[in-house]
Amino acid sequence: MAAARRLKRVAASQPGFLTLKPSLNPSDLVSGRRKRVNKNKKKNWNKHSDINDVEEFLEDVRHQERTTGGLLSEKSDDSLFFLDVGQPKKAEQKEEPVETKKRKGKASRPLRIDLILQHDSLIPPAKDVLAYQQPNAKKLRRIAQKAEQLAAKGVVPRRQRQLLNRRPVDRTAKKSATEANNNPDREYYDIWGQESRESADPWYLQQMGKKHVKRPEKLNEKPSVLPAVEVIAPGGSYNPDFLSHQALLQEAHDVEVKKQKQEDKLERQLAFNKEEKATEETVLREQVEGLVEEENEEEEAAANDDEEEVAVGAIALAEKKTERQRKRERAEKIKEQQRLATRKQTDQQQQLFQLRSIKASIKQREQKTKANQIKRKAKQEAQKSQPRRLGKLKFQPQDLEVQLSNELAGSLRQLKPEGSILKDRFKSLQKRNLIEPRDRAKFKRRLKVKYVEKRAFKEIT
Amino acid sequence: MGGLQKKKFERGAATNYITRNRARKKLMLSLPDFRRLCILKGIYPHEPKHKKKVNKGSTAPRTFYLMKDIRFLLHEPIVGKFREYKIFVRKLKKAYGKTEWSTVERLRENKPTYKLDHIIKERYPSFIDALRDIDDALCMCFLFSTFARTGKCHVQTIQLCRRLSVEWMNYVIASRSLRKVFISIKGIYYQAEAMGQLITWLVPYQFSHDHPTDVDYRVMATFTEFYTTLLGFVNFRLYHSLNLLYPPKVWWKLSALSASLARVVSSADEEDAELDQFPEDMEKMEAREKEQKQQEAQRKMFQGLKFFLNREVPRESLAFVIRCFGGEVSWDKSICIGSTYDVTDETITHHIVDRPNIDKQYINRYYIQPQWVYDCVNAKILLPVEDYFIGVTLPPHLSPFVEEKEGDYVPPEKLKIMALQRGEKPANEQEEDNDEEEEEDEDDEEEEEEDDNADEEEDDEEEAEEKNLKEMEDKRSQGKSLQVKVTPGKVKVENPARLEQEEKAEEKRLAIMMMKKKEKYLYDKIMFGKKRKVREANKLAAKRKAHDDAEKAKKKKARK
Repeated sequence: MAAARRLKRVAASQPGFLTLKPSLNPSDLVSGRRKRVNKNKKKNWNKHSDINDVEEFLEDVRHQERTTGGLLSEKSDDSLFFLDVGQPKKAEQKEEPVETKKRKGKASRPLRIDLILQHDSLIPPAKDVLAYQQPNAKKLRRIAQKAEQLAAKGVVPRRQRQLLNRRPVDRTAKKSATEANNNPDREYYDIWGQESRESADPWYLQQMGKKHVKRPEKLNEKPSVLPAVEVIAPGGSYNPDFLSHQALLQEAHDVEVKKQKQEDKLERQLAFNKEEKATEETVLREQVEGLVEEENEEEEAAANDDEEEVAVGAIALAEKKTERQRKRERAEKIKEQQRLATRKQTDQQQQLFQLRSIKASIKQREQKTKANQIKRKAKQEAQKSQPRRLGKLKFQPQDLEVQLSNELAGSLRQLKPEGSILKDRFKSLQKRNLIEPRDRAKFKRRLKVKYVEKRAFKEIT
Repeated sequence: MGGLQKKKFERGAATNYITRNRARKKLMLSLPDFRRLCILKGIYPHEPKHKKKVNKGSTAPRTFYLMKDIRFLLHEPIVGKFREYKIFVRKLKKAYGKTEWSTVERLRENKPTYKLDHIIKERYPSFIDALRDIDDALCMCFLFSTFARTGKCHVQTIQLCRRLSVEWMNYVIASRSLRKVFISIKGIYYQAEAMGQLITWLVPYQFSHDHPTDVDYRVMATFTEFYTTLLGFVNFRLYHSLNLLYPPKVWWKLSALSASLARVVSSADEEDAELDQFPEDMEKMEAREKEQKQQEAQRKMFQGLKFFLNREVPRESLAFVIRCFGGEVSWDKSICIGSTYDVTDETITHHIVDRPNIDKQYINRYYIQPQWVYDCVNAKILLPVEDYFIGVTLPPHLSPFVEEKEGDYVPPEKLKIMALQRGEKPANEQEEDNDEEEEEDEDDEEEEEEDDNADEEEDDEEEAEEKNLKEMEDKRSQGKSLQVKVTPGKVKVENPARLEQEEKAEEKRLAIMMMKKKEKYLYDKIMFGKKRKVREANKLAAKRKAHDDAEKAKKKKARK
């Protein structure tokens, strides 16, 4: 696959190559993988801009200046080229050997060190401007006088000022570290002693959007009536009194009994009596029921028939009502209504005499409602101290911290602490409705895991 | 008809509540950030009364917040800081990935931080409000200061918590406001009184460290962040109320709890503030004065006593309690800094030991177990030291947080202590001791010498009397005639208080006899209810007695 891609790239980089999709730029196939960089930022000028061509040109220019003392294009033709007109005369040749014979020994050659120290480029070294400057005595005197006057006034020249101001570097702690909330050396101040801030006009503040937002009143109420720290029962002392310890053990025992009861209940509900399981015999008997025994069959059949006939007869006799019947029904209805009306009236009249019993029944009802009200109020109060249901999970109270009689330590030194205070605080926060009970976050995989057996094992299984 | 029809779930309860996810989206925060914000601002989820209405017909369990609370959260400046922090993390990750170390440094130096001061001022507008909520803060700070510095939570947080807890303990010592201590299997409960508020907090044991896995550490860390800020400000205010310098410069030196705090203004009359004379009944004033005197006496309970702590006792807890009541305390130099005197100091009055025996014993000091200190604090008087000697079975450590109403069962130890508080010498206890002594005298005299020596000072007179009676009985059984004579009678002094009581009882009986039938019926019912409690208490006392007798029999068997 990679080879095919490379081939494509190489083919595409040929200048005359035509792609199947004419919209695609062939250069895209080559450089499509490169990431787009934002060249507007200074950070990227150094990294991602290619200046090789400019550098090459400049290097070339410098090289020319060094070696030939100037740009080749600016030189005259005579300095660069000469006309080759054959060999020169012998007289010139004779002069040179005469000169060289005069010098003897190695003094003729310059020292290596001098050669090294010579300038090897044809660019003349830069002039030292200060070396050409000649001190003007008058000028110097005037400068000194001025400096004295200023010093007398107190103005110090910049250089000196900078030197004086240069203090030893103190590596102060980073600003963010000192401001952090958990810095152990953080400063506190009197937060309740200071007066409130707003001195400006409230209308102005509102218009500018700087008005202080009031905290809602309801947030000042505590979410639970339970106290922040609940002290353990006296049986939880490290050296408890006999009876209080027994009381605590009894409580723990009750909790365990309750748990056990629930488990038993579940077991009972799921229990299955083996004897009730259908065996082949019972299945056969059930299927064959009513078919095998013939003596009882006829009697049963006859009984069935009679019942059916009666039923059939009742249905068949329903016919249309006649006019007379309808009139009769109407009259009966009216009579019934009148009867009821008179009955009602007599009842109302008689109620006068039933006043006492009516009073008694009303009193009873009132008492019942009162009792119910009291019960409901008590239930509400009890509810207040219960943890509220604030989320998916219900609140699970932690186990009672209790040490059995054989675990009780005789002395403070041998005491083995029970329970974890971290957990206790966490549960207390949940109990007081400050946080919702939450489960630990499970590790969910985004992609399913595929189990594959190794080849070696595949052969075995 | 005309007019708009009312749609369901658009008014009333349904619009007052908002689900957690909706609230989070409104604030544009991630879930952990949202949780942290709610914890810091004190915004809690609510359970609506009619869940079906609020949840638009379904009863699925969801977390609901009040709409007003969430709208209030939108104005919080910390929300912006959270978002800045998220962006900071993103930039940091990028810089790390691109290996641009200069950028990493620069970003780290300008890390966004936030302050919680304005939240505290908003949640607790006055100092007393803050004091009411300080229980939780103290528990958390003490808990975090006992954590190991492994790096699971910031080491700086642990240090800050340690500093604040040390400062608080020093405040309690300086103001002598500790009232109750209870050593339980969970930890040590303390109760102090500051500015009229009763503050209870729980301190874990130093040597118990199992970190349960189902506790959400981030939530606890957020709570601690808030509480440390609150506790710092409260400490500042409390120190200034006592004219003490805050913050104490070298707080880790103070962690030894043996040094006293520096004062800003040295006030000579720091002690007794006189009570204002309000025009009230004499009785109330007298009662209050008496109470005040009692409190003053209680504060100076350990004054003048010098304690020395052996290596195996819980040093910090004992040092704290002892110094809270005016005592001086020291320990071996090799345990901790701040020890003021050595074990060889002759003026030490009490040496606190927890071992079964100790080699070198100095004569003029008591060797006692640490429970004595705590029991004295709870009983508000100096209890007799004899019950707490080395090797003695300690009396049970009763909880001072239990308020017994009349008729409830009161354990006999508590009765003893109450008697001691009233100043009576518990006669019953001495007689019991004497009986035991005499029985054991018959068996083996040598072992009991120590006990005798201990009790001798108190029981001399009673012993003599008992011995006399026994001699007379012996003589009688032997058939000898007793040398008794008829002596002139002694005048029994009539106790006027007792007389008064008897008169009152008589009057009560007469009044009961004169009641009508109906009233008598009601009265009987009430008394029956009251007496039931007493009967139950008696039952428990009988049980206790049976248990004690069984223990005694066991002890005797073991000895034989």
